[in-house]
Amino acid sequence: MRPDGTFPHPRLARRDFLYGMGASLGSVAFTSLLADEARRAGVSGPHLPAKAKNVIFLMMEGGPSHIDTFDPKPALERMHLKEFVREGKQKSAMESGRRYYVRSPFKFIKAGQSGADMAENWSHLAKVADELCFWRGCTVDSVNHPTAMYQMNTGNRFGGDPGIGAWVNYGLGSVNKDLPGFVVLPEASHPQGGAANWGSGYLPARLQGTPLRPKGAPVLDLLPPHGVSRDRQRANLDLLAKLNAAHAEAHPGRDDLAARMESYELAFRMQAQVPEALDLAGESARVREEYGLDSPVTASFGRKCLLARKLVEKGVRFVQLYHGSWDSHDFIERAHGNLVGAVDRPIAALIADLKRRGLLDSTLVVWCGEFGRTPDNGVRQGTAYGRDHNPNAMTIWMAGGGCKAGHTFGATDELGMEAVDLKRHVRDFHVTLLRLLGLDDNRLTFYHAGRFKQLSQFGGEVIRELIA
Amino acid sequence: MFLVVALQGQSSEELFVRRIQPLLQDKCLGCHGRDPEKIKGELDLRRPDALLKGGESGKPSVVVGKPQESPMFLSVERVHDDWEPMPPKQAERLTSEQLRWVRDWIEKGAALPGEARTKEILLTRKAAWDAEDGVTMKSGGGLSPEWDGRRYKPESLWAYMPLSKTAPPSGGHPVDAFIRARTPEGLKPAPQADRRTLLRRVSYGLTGLPPSEAEAEAFLADPSDDATAFAKVVDRLLASPHYGERMAQHWLDVVRYADSSGFANDYERGGAWRYRDYVVRSFNVDKPYDRFIREQVAGDEIAPDDPEMLVAVGFLRMGPWELTSMEVPKVARQRFLDDVTNAVGETFLAQSLQCARCHDHKFDPIATRDYYAVQAVFRTTQLAERPAPFLPTENQSGFDERRHLLAAREGHEETLRQLDEKSVAATEAWFKSSGVDDAPWKEALSKAGKVRGSRFAGARQYLLSRKVAEDRFPPRMLGWTPEEIGLERIARKGLERLKWELERYEPFALSVFDGRTPKVASVNAPVRPPADPFAEGEWEDAVILNGGDPFSPGPKVAPGVLGVLTAVPSAVPSFPVGRRKGLADWIVHPANPLAARAIVNRVWQWHFGKPLAANPNNFGSTGGRPTHPELLDWLASEFIAKGRTFKDLHRLILSSETYRRASVHPDPAAIAARDPKGESLAVFPPRRLTAEELRDSMLAATGELNRSVGGIPCRPEINQEAALQPRQVMGTFAAAWTPNPRPEQRHRRSLYVLRLRGLPDPRMEVFNQPPSDFSCEKREESVVAPQAFALFNGADSHARALALAAKSARDADDAEAVRRCFRAALGRDPSPAESRESLAHWARVKSLLGPKPAPVLPPVEVRRDAIEENTGTPFSFTERLHANAEFVPDLQPADVDDRVRALADLCLVLFNSNEFAHAP
Repeated sequence: MRPDGTFPHPRLARRDFLYGMGASLGSVAFTSLLADEARRAGVSGPHLPAKAKNVIFLMMEGGPSHIDTFDPKPALERMHLKEFVREGKQKSAMESGRRYYVRSPFKFIKAGQSGADMAENWSHLAKVADELCFWRGCTVDSVNHPTAMYQMNTGNRFGGDPGIGAWVNYGLGSVNKDLPGFVVLPEASHPQGGAANWGSGYLPARLQGTPLRPKGAPVLDLLPPHGVSRDRQRANLDLLAKLNAAHAEAHPGRDDLAARMESYELAFRMQAQVPEALDLAGESARVREEYGLDSPVTASFGRKCLLARKLVEKGVRFVQLYHGSWDSHDFIERAHGNLVGAVDRPIAALIADLKRRGLLDSTLVVWCGEFGRTPDNGVRQGTAYGRDHNPNAMTIWMAGGGCKAGHTFGATDELGMEAVDLKRHVRDFHVTLLRLLGLDDNRLTFYHAGRFKQLSQFGGEVIRELIA
Repeated sequence: MFLVVALQGQSSEELFVRRIQPLLQDKCLGCHGRDPEKIKGELDLRRPDALLKGGESGKPSVVVGKPQESPMFLSVERVHDDWEPMPPKQAERLTSEQLRWVRDWIEKGAALPGEARTKEILLTRKAAWDAEDGVTMKSGGGLSPEWDGRRYKPESLWAYMPLSKTAPPSGGHPVDAFIRARTPEGLKPAPQADRRTLLRRVSYGLTGLPPSEAEAEAFLADPSDDATAFAKVVDRLLASPHYGERMAQHWLDVVRYADSSGFANDYERGGAWRYRDYVVRSFNVDKPYDRFIREQVAGDEIAPDDPEMLVAVGFLRMGPWELTSMEVPKVARQRFLDDVTNAVGETFLAQSLQCARCHDHKFDPIATRDYYAVQAVFRTTQLAERPAPFLPTENQSGFDERRHLLAAREGHEETLRQLDEKSVAATEAWFKSSGVDDAPWKEALSKAGKVRGSRFAGARQYLLSRKVAEDRFPPRMLGWTPEEIGLERIARKGLERLKWELERYEPFALSVFDGRTPKVASVNAPVRPPADPFAEGEWEDAVILNGGDPFSPGPKVAPGVLGVLTAVPSAVPSFPVGRRKGLADWIVHPANPLAARAIVNRVWQWHFGKPLAANPNNFGSTGGRPTHPELLDWLASEFIAKGRTFKDLHRLILSSETYRRASVHPDPAAIAARDPKGESLAVFPPRRLTAEELRDSMLAATGELNRSVGGIPCRPEINQEAALQPRQVMGTFAAAWTPNPRPEQRHRRSLYVLRLRGLPDPRMEVFNQPPSDFSCEKREESVVAPQAFALFNGADSHARALALAAKSARDADDAEAVRRCFRAALGRDPSPAESRESLAHWARVKSLLGPKPAPVLPPVEVRRDAIEENTGTPFSFTERLHANAEFVPDLQPADVDDRVRALADLCLVLFNSNEFAHAP
């Protein structure tokens, strides 16, 4: 406060704009400030030319069975219910007791011009089969859900490292300054391993994934308690700004104070922006029908897929959608049948919609779980055929974003137990994903705890086959 | 030409022998020759003259005299488009000095001396080069001779050197003298802070709480000189029980305290609170630091009959850990061993050890052998919840809340009973349709006992154990719908989880014992120690694990310590009991410079917000060097010499003028110009309050804070959506967050709030409360918009604001009410302008008030939508929140008049102000 009893205007320091989930000035000067900040952080936009600018990551938590979805294993027909003997040093309790080979209960078809293998219950996805690039060679290190989830989502089995979305935003910067650059659409219950699956780790906190809750307030405490009007809130913010301005004048040179003042204004703007971004009321009846919003079976994941498209349109770099649990140890026909039924139509609609809007080229869609499943199972009650966790084989598919659409790469052995062709560790997939976005994993590094860290942990190799 | 070479002292030949050859070894041979089967780019550098020929590109790698045309140089320089950067990993790129060597070597002729010539050069030059190039260090012995012969820059080894005996420069307080000696020329320190600022600073620093109005008045009125009056305040605060709480918060950050185990199950650790309180007590009684260390590492070995010592070794259990049936026990066991090895290094020695797990440390003189020598100490350390009677000093109040858990247990048991009856009832139809004879089953049902409370399961087991074929009696889950299959699992897993929660009220310690490694496939209930810990289980040999892989044992190692500290004697026995005591004795040995430097560096940070050496968990060469090395060493020496009491160390630091400086410098431009990194401490660095301080300060301002010390964890209200958010754990959902029913139970200090790894309080998390999975050496102070959401919109802030408004408005006119709000929140009166603005705001808000909102009470039950995990069938169930039935809400808007409601908005603004949120 000044000696004459008046309050100065809140100061706006340079760093004001660089905090929080970004500011909304949108001026050229601001853009250059951001670029400046990014340079100082060791990042300068894409390292290499690339098509993909955004990612929609469909995370099928629990471990979908490759054998029952996209990697048919006819050899299991003749092995069905023959006893299985497992070898290897890492015996886990999952391998205890008698086990039997189990055939897939699903029929397979050849979909699209490319003749992609699909279980026939993926009837909608089959219509966009030629947009998909299948890879059957991924391996991971863990048989346990949370550690495998962490590895798929952060590169590090033990959690605590930045999520892929944080790395992508760190590398490419965000576009919309009123929305976070990394948005997560989880199930009503968080996946195993919790929020660390989309944390920012040692990267700046603003890069962490913002989960939008499927029910209720999309962001916690986004709005004041019931009964507090926007006018009243504005009045409170005005008084706060005055008190803070007086305090800042008595404490010159403090960027942190100015940043904190700006974060309140940004929060006030977000209160208006976030609900608008999530409003599906403006979508046509046709779109709603396509995504399956009108059916109780598909509505939940359909809403997520439609939101993902809207968020990408608004400039959100990385949207991660969760579905599951796909952890079908028993009754795989019913369990996987229900799960596929819930996502098939929405995913197909998402790909078609992105294509129609000209967004598919610049949006990489990824579908995966944290591991695959085994060809064998302890048979329960005589008929409860299911499958257990398998870190040595899984199928990942991608669409758009410069991936090699209409092809299937890699292979597992004749029973689907282990990848045998184009068999690569998940870290190579991470490196490939970054490469599709024009980012070089070896240059997308952050110095922390004594060394330069990177998504792949220790470096990996691009899987060139998957890139168009 | 000759003259130039002589001036630079290095011929191309010499450069090759001294620099280029080792670089090729270190950076290139990994892909270009070490494994002749896997040579990349067809470039085989086992014979360096291959450089003149080149690889698959067909071009020579080196063009003599022309580095800018030499692919080798262009690759390592990493800027040319045609040549891929080498080595490929960014982290391994050459330093600018190494680049200069390569350039010079090529420019000067790219000499490739043969073997004989190399020997000749080494003979004459090696001694001189060694003197210039750095020193070798002792360790436990590396995996390769190259590593053993590695050279270190002497300045990167500061932490392993004995404490220097530099006396303080003359004049004034020793701390000030050391600080003054490193103050940039011409920079004048800021004047001393005023008493009000100082009191706020030191109250937060020593207790984490703001001063009361009475304390402020007493200090302001004290006629003694500033230094004397301040010393009295410091003594008063050090004697407060809240001192131990504040110090414990710092310590628990480092050791990763939590009340749950993390990972897939995130089971509660019922007895963890007793370790938390042990830490509080230890600081409050000013336990010497050496004793504090010995108790936490080896309390059970030092005094096996003292329950407090069984609690103290809870330190070793602080990391996240579990063993599920989906996991390989040996892998889980190794996870514990790796965790505890590194934790001891980081916590007490400021030396991260995990970097030496798979290979000798890349930067520090810590060999993989050292890592496994320390780990060998813990090879006989086993995890258990051990009987440990409660101590008279432990707060045992509130145990009656147990009845809510018992009610939940009864609910689960009832579900299982009903499902059991359903199965039994369905048998008749099963036998009818299958045509199987039901006589054996009827006999089993009448003769067999219950299994896990189930008659049906008892009968099945009875027949199974008599080898009756499985198709002769009904299958499991008979008569259940998919929904009921789900319900059974929820109830069964719920009972399992309750065992861990009920442990909270039992006299057991989260502890360890020495013995063989028990053979267990999974841990689903608290573990009791065996009667004879050496009778059964696996004897774990201490070995080096190749690549850190528990299935790849290498050479044996003896339990031991880090070889780098040659001056510190150690005696770690091979006998399975007493190893940890041996390790602890070595850590606290007065000649061990790491332990003493580590702790005084932490304490310095606790007061100044930044440490003297930048990374309190990492004094190695990748951590920051000390800004004031002489001061750090002097403090460490003093600390040891004076008996390692924390309170004396605080008095020493806090009595300096450096600590008492104002946080605003009269000449900010001078600071910006001469001390841009803010290392001089010419001005005191203010800090944002921590998440815990923010919450505790609001409760203190309203008078609601329950200041009782210690005891079982409390559960305040958290954001209701987060509280009820379904949380998946293995095979079921974790229980919802249920706040304590009574306000005084909820309004305890944040230190005592139940810390679940899988459910951080979003409000605390957003204000940088660290996750409990990693040691936190220093709190972050981020500024993000969600903080504004939490503090400005959150129900808790509004509740505190209302409480402060009600308290301030009682029997007071408007001006006095405003004055009370400022004094309670900010510890000062409002200025006339602030008063005017506040009164005007109050009136304006009154005009904007809508109708009173209805109170929001936590629900007594929640409906959970789940997917039965084996079948994918959706089902729902009801979770009853028994404690919520007795819930007594905080003061609600409906309880007060509009005058108070409107004043609450002023209080909310004050709680959100920058002044409130910072320690000055």
